[in-house]
Amino acid sequence: MVKAYTQEYTYKHPWDRVTSASWKKFADAENKRTLSHILEVDTLNHKLDPSTGKLYTTRAITVHAPGPWFVRKIVRQDVCHCVESTVVDAQARSMQLTTNNISLEKFIEVEEKIRYDPHPENPNGWTLCRQETSIRIKPLSALASMAEKVEQRCAEKFVQNSAKGREVMERICKYLEAESKGISI
Amino acid sequence: MGIITDSQNKKKPSSSSTFPCAKLRDAYHNCFTRWYSEKFVKGQWDTEDCVSEWQKYKACLAEHLEDKQLSRFLEAEGNVNCTTTDGG
Repeated sequence: MVKAYTQEYTYKHPWDRVTSASWKKFADAENKRTLSHILEVDTLNHKLDPSTGKLYTTRAITVHAPGPWFVRKIVRQDVCHCVESTVVDAQARSMQLTTNNISLEKFIEVEEKIRYDPHPENPNGWTLCRQETSIRIKPLSALASMAEKVEQRCAEKFVQNSAKGREVMERICKYLEAESKGISI
Repeated sequence: MGIITDSQNKKKPSSSSTFPCAKLRDAYHNCFTRWYSEKFVKGQWDTEDCVSEWQKYKACLAEHLEDKQLSRFLEAEGNVNCTTTDGG
């Protein structure tokens, strides 16, 4: 039982601005209201390879995911820890983020992959974002009989949250654009 | 399910184990994002800024990160072959 979703989105902003916005996504106070399901984001590890211009980062993301009552009854917790690994290649201009849950992994595995690349139609002006989400409910888990329903709800939640994420990204990009032009908004 | 409409629910973080590090985290994060957008993406990737901010923040995390699954990632850093000079 695996559900996979692919979404594509074009940001009409250059790659360096969009990836800068991605780093700011969870930090700014205004976005914290929109992305209220994100409780904590901590950088656990980072490494720069100065010879190739590659930056590797590992972050912990704590998500508030209360879920339906029957899930809460089984898992007995309403926060979920995820680990996000990011590779940015400054030379090739690519950013790849992979996020996996590390809690509740006995019940469910969620993997989200996001890539930001210069848009082939306008590489210096636009950025293409490709997002793949796969959700797998573990067979034989206590949730197996309700798995179908849980998967559906999970998927809905991910789609809603990625829409919220895009909204925040657009807002930060606009802000960064104004900043780079010396306009205060 | 109240995903979108939970703006009225002022929920408090139920586990904020790294909260004591919030100030150090913000200092590091602000420094990092500035370095990223002003230097790294503009081709100046040979040196890394924010080394002292990172060291302070990491030391705080090592002390307060209670979740064992997460601290594994923090400890793993010792094994990473870091080529930058951090004067550690």
